[in-house]
Amino acid sequence: MVTYPRSASIVLAAILWTVICIWPPHFVAADGSTEDFDQRALARVATPPLGLPKVFIPGNNPLTAAKIALGRKLFFDRRLSHNRTMSCGMCHIPEQGFTNNEVATPIGVRGRSLRRNAPTSYNIAYLESMFHDARDTSLETQIFGPLLAREEMANPSIGFVFATIEAAPDYEDLFETAFDEPANAHNLGLALASYERTILSANSPFDQWKYGGDESAVSAQVKLGFSLFTGKAGCAACHLIGDESALFTDHALHNTGIGYNSDTVIRASEEPVQVEIAPGIVIPLARKTVTSVGLPRLRDLGRMEVTHDTSDLFLFKTPILRNVALSAPYMHDGSLRTLEEVVRFYDQGGHPNPGLDPLVQTLKLGDNGITALVAFLESLTGDNVAELEADGRSTEIGN
Amino acid sequence: MTGNMTVIKSFSIGIVAAFGALLGLSAGSIAPAVADETCQSPYMSPIVGQEEFMYVWTLGMDGVGDQSDKLVTIDVRPDSETFGQPINSFSVGGQHEAHHTGLSDDRRTLWAGTLDDSQLYLFDIATDPSKPRLRKTITDFVEATGGATGPHTVYALPGRVLITATSNNRDHGGRSALVEYTNEGDYITTHWIPTPEDMQGATGKEFADGYNYDIRALPRKNVMLTSSWTGWSNYMRDQNAVLNDPEAMKRFGHSMTVWNLHTRKPIKVLQVPGAPLEIRWALKKEHNFAFTHASLTSKLWLIYEDDAGEWQAKEVADIGEPGSPTFPGSIVITNDDNFLWAQGNADGISRLFDISDPHHPKAIYQKKIGSQINMGSSSWDGSRLYYTSSALSKWDRSDEEAEQFVRGYNWDSKELKQTFSVDFIAENLGRAHNMRFGAHSLYAG
Repeated sequence: MVTYPRSASIVLAAILWTVICIWPPHFVAADGSTEDFDQRALARVATPPLGLPKVFIPGNNPLTAAKIALGRKLFFDRRLSHNRTMSCGMCHIPEQGFTNNEVATPIGVRGRSLRRNAPTSYNIAYLESMFHDARDTSLETQIFGPLLAREEMANPSIGFVFATIEAAPDYEDLFETAFDEPANAHNLGLALASYERTILSANSPFDQWKYGGDESAVSAQVKLGFSLFTGKAGCAACHLIGDESALFTDHALHNTGIGYNSDTVIRASEEPVQVEIAPGIVIPLARKTVTSVGLPRLRDLGRMEVTHDTSDLFLFKTPILRNVALSAPYMHDGSLRTLEEVVRFYDQGGHPNPGLDPLVQTLKLGDNGITALVAFLESLTGDNVAELEADGRSTEIGN
Repeated sequence: MTGNMTVIKSFSIGIVAAFGALLGLSAGSIAPAVADETCQSPYMSPIVGQEEFMYVWTLGMDGVGDQSDKLVTIDVRPDSETFGQPINSFSVGGQHEAHHTGLSDDRRTLWAGTLDDSQLYLFDIATDPSKPRLRKTITDFVEATGGATGPHTVYALPGRVLITATSNNRDHGGRSALVEYTNEGDYITTHWIPTPEDMQGATGKEFADGYNYDIRALPRKNVMLTSSWTGWSNYMRDQNAVLNDPEAMKRFGHSMTVWNLHTRKPIKVLQVPGAPLEIRWALKKEHNFAFTHASLTSKLWLIYEDDAGEWQAKEVADIGEPGSPTFPGSIVITNDDNFLWAQGNADGISRLFDISDPHHPKAIYQKKIGSQINMGSSSWDGSRLYYTSSALSKWDRSDEEAEQFVRGYNWDSKELKQTFSVDFIAENLGRAHNMRFGAHSLYAG
């Protein structure tokens, strides 16, 4: 029998305790308790934060801790792009509202310009369709678009992705543990969807007031904004609010004039581009000069590109508004930089065009009304943003 | 080898200067730093005579040749039968956003970095200076550095190099770092640029932005300077999209950082709005100043030590007409500290400034080189200048005036006269960006 000195046992115990404390990654909750992220994610989905409805879990993809952990790892793995520079998390950045606050439209492999703003990943568990043009139908299948799109992650084939995963020693046994089988096109989508389904955020001041009955949770200005949102401004006609929960979307597509304006009016403009070359220093640059550097912006016909139905021209999906204060810039092309710009855009009745949705009308809210609406939108930020950021960063970035 | 070539073996001087700085010797007590043809590291030997070869780090271009990034060697020996022609090309395969190169202190290795996927190619230029050979590729820069991406400037220190990174693997924004590698290509350490959240003891919190671009040191004052540009999301993006995106235009650096060369600790962050890019220290020992060019505002800035020993920054001249941006891509100082060439990326004009009074530079000459120029390099004596056309793959002109070239000129103190021009598209090469010089005599004896 081998015996060890007492001091060695103490050292070993100390090492074990340290390992237990730091692995798996923990989040220190407001009450000081710690739990590992995967278990907290499971709990979050089982009991969504106040204001969110029950999460639908597809029968073919029951949620497990192993799948969440694997999906998170895949989400932040830059190796899953053709030249190992892009991951889902490079456009859906946790600290930037799970979008990219620094650009109107994101950039893919080799700097290829995308046409549309990166939609936030917050609460995408509830989406009935994916992407601004609703071209995909589930979280489980949507990943293959970005993985293979030349402008996004640009993998030359789906087999190339699996060869990358197979060659990465840090993926050894992870798929087998989660799915009892090696990585394949089916379970890759299941794993990513499992993580993405856990990015739930609510229990905002609005929720605490509306669904929690706490009258002090929001200001009078927010309450005025709510009354406008659901009343005179008509926002709730598309951004639906239920009696027990709210997703702030009708899951439908609308023509607000943003697409028409970008694709038709601005494209034809010969006005100089106003460029801020340093803080507070704006200069006019001839449009011809601007367009002479780099490739021209591609047209964007919206939903019509999917259906080829001319009545779908410039239709884009209604976004969920939860955590909207964190996900600037706004609209499908990121052309509006602040919530106030968005509200003013709708206040003026959107942008006139032949297909303008009749729900978009001139509102004449006045400055007070606009300010109140902005305050209301800002009250929709959930109370677990820091936790979800830490959750995302609990996995190592794959390089 | 050309007969009139002269090389100063300044390596030992550099070492002395470095140790002088490390030991805290007073200014003036050590040999003055010398810089090479483009004011590079004083720890290197400069070619003070005729440069023989020019190494052009060239971006692969769709529809041109093998479309891959490559190191092109151009013969610049005036008496050579192949003068002004590409004599070798080494393709690294694929497009990686080839950008800047730098030399090790012994000038045996040319480090060539890529801004997109963060590769570093180490070329042996000593065995046969006319034909660089790839001796090592560093593919784990991001992993090794803890998340820094987009290696840019490679700056020689004794036995090692300092590399400026330009972005990061968390968000592709502008927060980045300085990275140290040994001459053999082994990672040493990472120094992150100060941010308002983490000033690391430096002053100037109100100006800190974490951005990075170039680095240059002044060993006798034990300082180094870094400048600031923008992150991957902007520099890899179509420039017209950036200019049309007000949010993106807010993501450019407006700062420079003064560092303690010895400890690599930031001392002070200076306000220099408009994306200050290349840093060029004056060469004379009594000159404690450097220039930079703010690329967005088209301004020349002076970084200088004031009477109280404090480092300050001030705008001293417009590069081009005020209000008509030239977006300068590079600057070069002559070895007597009297003149500075600034290259206008937007208008393709190289402008000469009299900087004998560095606080009041005067534009005295200009020459249109092409529809667009970016880098300019000068021979040590200032009699020869070379220009390249490309800024970045997505920032170059794409209209009917687009061209890609390397052009050589002689300067007779009055006029730039073209000596050669290489059409990089006709030669199936790509977009010509950064230049470095080579010569056989660097390795003689």
